Amino acid sequence: MTFSLLLRSSALASVVVLGAQAASAETFRWASTTDPQTMDPHAVNAAPVLSFLNNIYEGLVRRNQNMQIEPSLATSWEPLEAENGWRFHLREGVTFQDGAEFNAEDVLFSYQRASDEAADVRSWFAPVSEVRVVDDYTVDFVTTAPNPLFPDSIANFMILDKGWAEANDAALPARDAENFATMNVNGTGAFSLSSRDPGVETRLVPNPTWWDEAQHNVTEAVFTPIGNSATGLAALLSGEIDFIQPIPLQDVAQVESRDGFKVLEGEETRVIMFGFGHEHEKLLYSTDVTDANPFQDPKVRLAAAHAIDIDAIDRVIMRGKIEAASQLVPAGISGYSEANADRPAYDPERAKELLAEAGYPDGFSFGLKCTNDRYINDEALCRAAASMFAAVDLKAELTTGPVRDYWTQLREDDFDMYLLGWSPGTFDAEHPIRFLLHSQDDEKKLGSWNFGNYSNARVDELLPLIQEEIDPAARQALIDELVGITQDEVAYIPLYTQPLIWAAKENIDLTQRADNFFMLRWVTIN
Amino acid sequence: MFARLVRSEPAYLFFRSPAAMLAAVVAILVIGGAICAPWLARTDPYDLSTFSLMDGLLPPVWQGGDPRFLLGTDDQGRDMVSAILYGARLSLMIGLMAMVIATVLGVGLGLAAGYFGGVFDAIVMRVADVQLALPAILTALLIDGVSRGLLPPEMQQDLRVAVLTLAIALSLWVNFARTARASVFVERNKDYVQAAMIMGQHPLRVMVRHILPNIMGPLLVIMTVDLASAILLEATLSFLGIGLPADSPSLGTLIRIGMQFLLSGEWWILWVPTLFLVALVVSINVLGDFLRDVFNPRLR
Amino acid sequence: MAYFILKRLIQSVFVMLAVAFLAFSLFRFVGDPVSQMTGVETSEQDRERLRDELGLNDAFIVQFARFTGDMLKGDFGYSYRTRQPVAEMIATRIPATLELGTVALLISLIVGIPAGVYTALRPRGFVSQTILMTTLVGVSIPTFVIGIMLIFLFGVQLGWLPTFGRGGTVQIGGWTSSLFTSDGWRALILPALTLGVYQLTLTMRLVRAEMMEVMRSDYIRFATARGIPFRSLYFRHALANTMVPVITIIGLQFGGVIAFSIVTESVFQWPGMGLLFLESIRFVDIPVMGVYLVVIAFFFVLVNMAVDLLYVAIDPRLRVREDA
Repeated sequence: MTFSLLLRSSALASVVVLGAQAASAETFRWASTTDPQTMDPHAVNAAPVLSFLNNIYEGLVRRNQNMQIEPSLATSWEPLEAENGWRFHLREGVTFQDGAEFNAEDVLFSYQRASDEAADVRSWFAPVSEVRVVDDYTVDFVTTAPNPLFPDSIANFMILDKGWAEANDAALPARDAENFATMNVNGTGAFSLSSRDPGVETRLVPNPTWWDEAQHNVTEAVFTPIGNSATGLAALLSGEIDFIQPIPLQDVAQVESRDGFKVLEGEETRVIMFGFGHEHEKLLYSTDVTDANPFQDPKVRLAAAHAIDIDAIDRVIMRGKIEAASQLVPAGISGYSEANADRPAYDPERAKELLAEAGYPDGFSFGLKCTNDRYINDEALCRAAASMFAAVDLKAELTTGPVRDYWTQLREDDFDMYLLGWSPGTFDAEHPIRFLLHSQDDEKKLGSWNFGNYSNARVDELLPLIQEEIDPAARQALIDELVGITQDEVAYIPLYTQPLIWAAKENIDLTQRADNFFMLRWVTIN
Repeated sequence: MFARLVRSEPAYLFFRSPAAMLAAVVAILVIGGAICAPWLARTDPYDLSTFSLMDGLLPPVWQGGDPRFLLGTDDQGRDMVSAILYGARLSLMIGLMAMVIATVLGVGLGLAAGYFGGVFDAIVMRVADVQLALPAILTALLIDGVSRGLLPPEMQQDLRVAVLTLAIALSLWVNFARTARASVFVERNKDYVQAAMIMGQHPLRVMVRHILPNIMGPLLVIMTVDLASAILLEATLSFLGIGLPADSPSLGTLIRIGMQFLLSGEWWILWVPTLFLVALVVSINVLGDFLRDVFNPRLR
Repeated sequence: MAYFILKRLIQSVFVMLAVAFLAFSLFRFVGDPVSQMTGVETSEQDRERLRDELGLNDAFIVQFARFTGDMLKGDFGYSYRTRQPVAEMIATRIPATLELGTVALLISLIVGIPAGVYTALRPRGFVSQTILMTTLVGVSIPTFVIGIMLIFLFGVQLGWLPTFGRGGTVQIGGWTSSLFTSDGWRALILPALTLGVYQLTLTMRLVRAEMMEVMRSDYIRFATARGIPFRSLYFRHALANTMVPVITIIGLQFGGVIAFSIVTESVFQWPGMGLLFLESIRFVDIPVMGVYLVVIAFFFVLVNMAVDLLYVAIDPRLRVREDA
């Protein structure tokens, strides 16, 4: 309320003026589909929040335009010598936006805050056993096992000021009621919050005391969530906003054909795939095979893979914007298995043969579960896939629904085959192995998104080896072996890498990062 | 009623009204097309093997499309002509069923509430308040959710149409009830009703024979508008993500899918079903107007 | 009269309780709030703990009792999604929805009643037929298509009006209004038109139908015969007699307008309660959905009561009955 008051009191001054030229040259307006639900960097592990707050808060390391990590609040880091873990050397002379000085105490405090039970991001610190302040500008993160990727995994771990958080009763992320950090910020980053009206409008201004040299020329940035994609596109084309992420695939041509606008296209790291109920004894949705689960037979799974014409999907539904996928991470991600870059070809004849070999010469019917609001054109994809399956006598009963109860249904094993998209949070091939390929193991918190419980003893054996292997070549060999196994067994049918489509006015220069994060500090208004 | 229509005055009125005649022709064509869809349509939108993604996004014939597809194809390669015929079939079925349920339920409760008054009236009207306070989207969510909780998974898909129809009917009955009740308040004090009651006629008979005909005017207006609303509500529920699945192509679902192609240049995916829907709904409304004039007892 | 109002107020409490109960019983079908609140990397144990903390593992009736108990104490709870107090979230969104709904309803009355009277008096005229036809086509296109078309015509192609949001707003006490700036009005036109077109057509057709009936009644014929001027006849006698059903529907319309504004608000990114409600459904934000429904129920109860009171005021015959 206080913020909307603040915002409204200056309402006359901040009236939205129509037309691009009328606005001050450096006021940058942008829109996205979802409002960040909180300003607390530790409360929610969700892309809209982390992406937005990366403009305000900073971590020890940060990702550059090519997704590589680079120094941020830490200037350098190295593995500990006597034990497992990492030592971070902190940047000196950095101040928070309220003027307080940044030091090792803030890192320790932020670690304690972010790894508390009230924090949703605590899973990042599962391998950490202890954090030690060595001196004012040196911090050790001790891990339970060798963890070569640890610095990569904490790029979104943002540092709060201990004094500010404690003084404002925000020492822990809000769990029930809101607290000060839900609506207020105090980071070290390039921008600070000037007003916030949740779900309506959020304004940012550059942080004059930022330690790094500004590469942007934004004097004020205004964010508006616009849920309806056609409305968002209209707002861009009418000049009311400068930039929007994302726009629908089918509207790319329309934006490109207009003067003064451009489309930014890239590959997201998210791989779209079909999963199976490996563990299910029988099909739930079948009308003809009710006493068995044909998908337990790898031949049947391979037949399903051969039935998919990925080129036709690319051409018609995805407008030529996708990269076909052979495994659960796209090429270019560390740990991608070059040795296993082939995917099953589109071959309906082979699919029918395989089905006959497996004892289903006339095919069978089964249930296919899909989302209709989660991934790009997900419903159209599933309808096309159902039609392709039908061509080889795999009769899919398609159910599409919103994502809000989708995961619940999958967790309750209410599917025969399902759609899933996975983006490796650490930008490493180990991530989907941990979540999607390792057998379900609540104790060790592994396989938590392996809904069909694909299980292979060798895969389970390989995961810890991959996690702890320091030598890149040896590590890659282990991953290659694992990907080979899962391809032979058709654990999933990887389909393609989802495209990333943003649109902006011609005079805006910005960087599209593969994690779909939008960084204001790389925006130039010409 | 029908015999009277054919014989005399209404028929005369009908042939004097070009709007009504045109509407009748359009309605007959659309409804006939919907009924005969299985024989008219080139492909069956429910049968996945009759269309192919390779035929996707073809424009109508006059824009250089494939002669097999007069009005082009959608993003799945589905023939638009077949899609709208089957779509109209489904939409009409849902709309008519929902309207009939809503009318019977609403008028029945409204008449009874107005006639008996007292506690019964209070209960019906409070239930109506509850119903009104739940937006249609929520009624649909509720019924959808309950059916999902109660029915086995393989039946849920098949019952989506029934669930949606019921949800739409429930969000429409209150209009009928309130209107019927309000009119009963006015009519029940009139001499002829009082006379009928004093003569000891059964309340049901009084309501059906004396009160009901007198409120046909407003009811017919609501019925025609509500048949349109029912069809549009289905489209809206689809737009909000709780309508029919994309592979059960009602006109509403087709329009929802078409919305994605509003700006992409494939205009026919949106405008073919939209124009078809508009033609259908407008002709129903025009005929409704006409029928109201004809059957209005005070006109004759 | 006081007894009547008191009785209705007591009934209203039950209506709201029933709405809350119905709403609450459907929330379990909407989805799982916890999977929407947590990231993909969150462990199942952490999810379960969160579920416990939120009381989602309690029996349904316990949850409902807690919800209503807290509401009666004036504690509307906190949003699962944003952690903000729900009362505050809804309160900041009410003005946007009410202003939109009121303007839409006004449009429908200001245009709909005269159009209804006109088309009733000259049923066969060319203008009447054109009006009837245009509005019919208008209500035959789904609201969301109309909204988007208006946005693209007036926002993008012509560039006259904004495409989203409320434009310039002014804070008056706790009320955020867009009625006092020209930008606010410009932003209001398209959504209000989109929302109002359906109500307009309904109002017009209803007034027309009633008017045509009344014009044929004996007392109007008698009045015509006595030579009462047409203007006075149409507006004092005929129109006044059409008002009972018209008021019923208009009363209901306002409720409908508020409920239907969900779609309009979503198309125009209008920051009202409907948009908040849609977001809450998406995130399974149970406290916000619950309070929204109770607030909507409260509006309906108010409107319905006002409608019933107006009946009594307009038609004296009903007064006898109510007092009896």
